[in-house]
Amino acid sequence: MSELSERIKGVVEREPVALFMKGTPQFVMCGNSDRALRALREAGAPVTAVDILPDPAIRQELSAAYGWPTIPQVFVGGELVGGADIVQELAESGELATILEARLGPGYREGAEERVVDVLAPAQR
Amino acid sequence: MGAHDHYHGFVAAGRLEDLLRSAFPEARELTVEDRTGGGDHFQVTVASTRFAGMPLLEQHRLVNEALAEPLRDGTIHELRIKTKEAQA
Repeated sequence: MSELSERIKGVVEREPVALFMKGTPQFVMCGNSDRALRALREAGAPVTAVDILPDPAIRQELSAAYGWPTIPQVFVGGELVGGADIVQELAESGELATILEARLGPGYREGAEERVVDVLAPAQR
Repeated sequence: MGAHDHYHGFVAAGRLEDLLRSAFPEARELTVEDRTGGGDHFQVTVASTRFAGMPLLEQHRLVNEALAEPLRDGTIHELRIKTKEAQA
């Protein structure tokens, strides 16, 4: 496995909520990424974002690892929830909060803050 | 946006619809909308009995699989998916 795909898997497995997106929460570069981010924010999710734009290899490795072709991709507790349409639908039906609570615990909103992780740099923390 | 773009969009939408029809011959509803007229931003809607009781993630996975080629070759720049569980 490449170092990059190890870092991608590390983010998915370590972060409570991982959002692979085009751009960053401060500078969103795509409508679908924006919809996913908004849905997660509304549900009070602690979002860790990864910008896939700096290197096409990020998207290639991510899609190969999880069998999902499009961006954004949202993972909660290490499991793929889906792309923008799914996350938006789940947010509208209230199921997103249920999933967050089931996988992260009822206190998942507490101290929720947005972070950005760079998978091209050597592992952080 | 020129006539060429419009034609390109029309052809691409038709190709997507063909792929979806062969993947979901049982579909009660199947539409492909070219959202911008440019032939690369699409909204697809599929209503199928196969989706009944299936998690949303797996429903979308089936649609993505049907459109794997245009997703890979760059025909689809942005895809929106709406799946519906049709009653048998």
